[in-house]
Amino acid sequence: MTKEAEYAIEVEQLTKRYGNDLLAVNGISFKVRKGEVFALLGPNGAGKTTTVEIIETIRRPTSGNVHLLGMDVTKEKRNIVPCIGVLPQGFSSFDRITVRETMLYYSRLFGGRNDDIDKLIALVNLEDKANEQYATLSGGLKQRLGIAIALVNDPSVVFLDEPTTGLDPRARREVWDVLLGLKKEGKTVFLTTHYMEEAELLADTVAIILSGKIIAMGSPAQLIERNADYLVLTLQSVDENAFAVVGGLGFEPEQNNDQSLQVRVEHMDDIRKILNAMNEAKASFVSMDVRKPNLEQVFLKLTGEALHESAGGEKGAQ
Amino acid sequence: MNLRVVGANLVVSLKCFYRERTAMFFTTMFPILLILVFGTIFMDDDNLHYNLCLQDLDQTETSAEIAKSLASTGKFKVIPVDTALEATQYVKDNKENLVVVIPKDYEKSYTQYLLYNDLNAFVTLRYVYDPSSSSVLEKMQLLNLVFATMNQGLSEKPPFIRTVQESIHTRKYRFLKFFIPGIIAMAIMTESLFGTVQVNTELRQKGIIRKLSTTPITRTDWILSGILHQIILAVISTTLMLLVSYAVFDVQLNINAWLPLFIVLDVFTFVGIGMILTRLVKEAQSASSAANAIMFPMMFLSGSFFPLEMMPDFLQKFAKVLPLYYLNEGLRAAMVFQDNGIALSNASTIGAFAAVVFILGIMVTRWEEGK
Repeated sequence: MTKEAEYAIEVEQLTKRYGNDLLAVNGISFKVRKGEVFALLGPNGAGKTTTVEIIETIRRPTSGNVHLLGMDVTKEKRNIVPCIGVLPQGFSSFDRITVRETMLYYSRLFGGRNDDIDKLIALVNLEDKANEQYATLSGGLKQRLGIAIALVNDPSVVFLDEPTTGLDPRARREVWDVLLGLKKEGKTVFLTTHYMEEAELLADTVAIILSGKIIAMGSPAQLIERNADYLVLTLQSVDENAFAVVGGLGFEPEQNNDQSLQVRVEHMDDIRKILNAMNEAKASFVSMDVRKPNLEQVFLKLTGEALHESAGGEKGAQ
Repeated sequence: MNLRVVGANLVVSLKCFYRERTAMFFTTMFPILLILVFGTIFMDDDNLHYNLCLQDLDQTETSAEIAKSLASTGKFKVIPVDTALEATQYVKDNKENLVVVIPKDYEKSYTQYLLYNDLNAFVTLRYVYDPSSSSVLEKMQLLNLVFATMNQGLSEKPPFIRTVQESIHTRKYRFLKFFIPGIIAMAIMTESLFGTVQVNTELRQKGIIRKLSTTPITRTDWILSGILHQIILAVISTTLMLLVSYAVFDVQLNINAWLPLFIVLDVFTFVGIGMILTRLVKEAQSASSAANAIMFPMMFLSGSFFPLEMMPDFLQKFAKVLPLYYLNEGLRAAMVFQDNGIALSNASTIGAFAAVVFILGIMVTRWEEGK
């Protein structure tokens, strides 16, 4: 039986090996608090789906302990399944079955009642499509149906494995709106994604996974704070000679598509120095913006460092 | 017209075709398979000879001449039948389709006819035959031709050798009556095998099985609902086939408790084979090719369309290891001859086979993604 646990998910020293050669997950540990949105962020092939599928009881770990709501995922599948909702990677459903029929089917698998279905269809804004067959839905609508199905048993923990991969920006926004709704409801959501923007927008905690290992974990703000040892200065609509002026000070300005100049600086003093030089050279600009780097820049920095270290390690070992 | 564009398009088309395994199968392997199957069935057609069981009740030198004359045509291999046996029973027991019986007073009548010019003297040879065999008619026609030639050789007088046909069954049967049960068995095989293989591989490829494994549905629930689905389809298609046969060809078959039993056994057998195939073959397209490769030879070699006696001996022996053979035979025994003994023996054989493949199928069907 489910015992009251502080954490929704507890993963300790989880390892998953396929055959002798592929080590997909390499001794990772983390905890997911109840009610939080936890994002496992990583490039393709990093071990995200293997990790999530072990927690969902689809795969068995090679070693390590995984508990969901206090239950061991390798031993208590029967008790765990009613407590979780899953949107698998590349979700698909029966082509010739309508949205409503699909919801009814999954609801029956969980022994649910019919009136809950309409609420869920409304939650993902699929009322107009309720009688359309799955095959006729667009990618975004299919994913929204997948999310509704994941909620059909009113689960305590919802797993969404790359819910917006392959969707166009508009469809992605629509899915995010649904996920923000879940967050408001206080559901525990385990999200895997390789979109930084998605993790930054939705997640309370982000774990960055690379080659089966977690290389950083914390809230998006913490990750940025810890790893952002620089600022990004952007000057909009600059004169052409601005690049020469900034370059002359020893910085490395980059030109954006919209005729703006972007440059990394370490301190506020550097910004003052650049502005003074621009003023002296009578190089004009319309507006300016100083920001800390975003999660994507942090991710690239961290994964770049990790890849560099592992390449160095391999070199050293040779 | 741009030849480079045409060329590029052609290359892509050929690649798509090459990579589409079902299309590949139907275009290349299927016709070859048909040629091989039919070629083997008819390979002896040029020097086709029939086994002919001959019961000589007269046991005289004159009557023995008949056997020699028949053998000399090169079309018959004469198999003597013990005079103590009852011809009808012999046909049934030995699964032969014909015994020709020479009557006891053959030499006496022959002498009377030839030496004493008695125009009224004649003998009647009995063709004791099994009407369920479609090739028996051809065999009897050939015999009639041989006897007509013999009669002509004897004289211009009214024919001395006359024949009479006696079916081993008390009632008359039409070939269609034997054909329909074979088609029913075959149709259920096709639905069950393809249904299982295609649905399971497609759902696995699309990831639906993975999604279902995170719901309370178990592997047993899934297999059971699949079996029920196939049984419903089998009942519908059998009913339709029986109705059409009755309405269009006036074929009346016996509907009894054996029919649902054989339908269920047919479904279990081929759903079991389908589950094993699904496990062995990962992709949906390859799986349906594998199902075709199993199904088509079975269709032609189990006696669904062609009577087995048309085939060479080794193929007749081979047919007896094919599950569809027992379903055909069992359904015919139940629906045509109402022979409970034969129906039971076939039901037992196919029942044991179905149990083995179905249990194997359950054992190899994987629900979780593995360890």
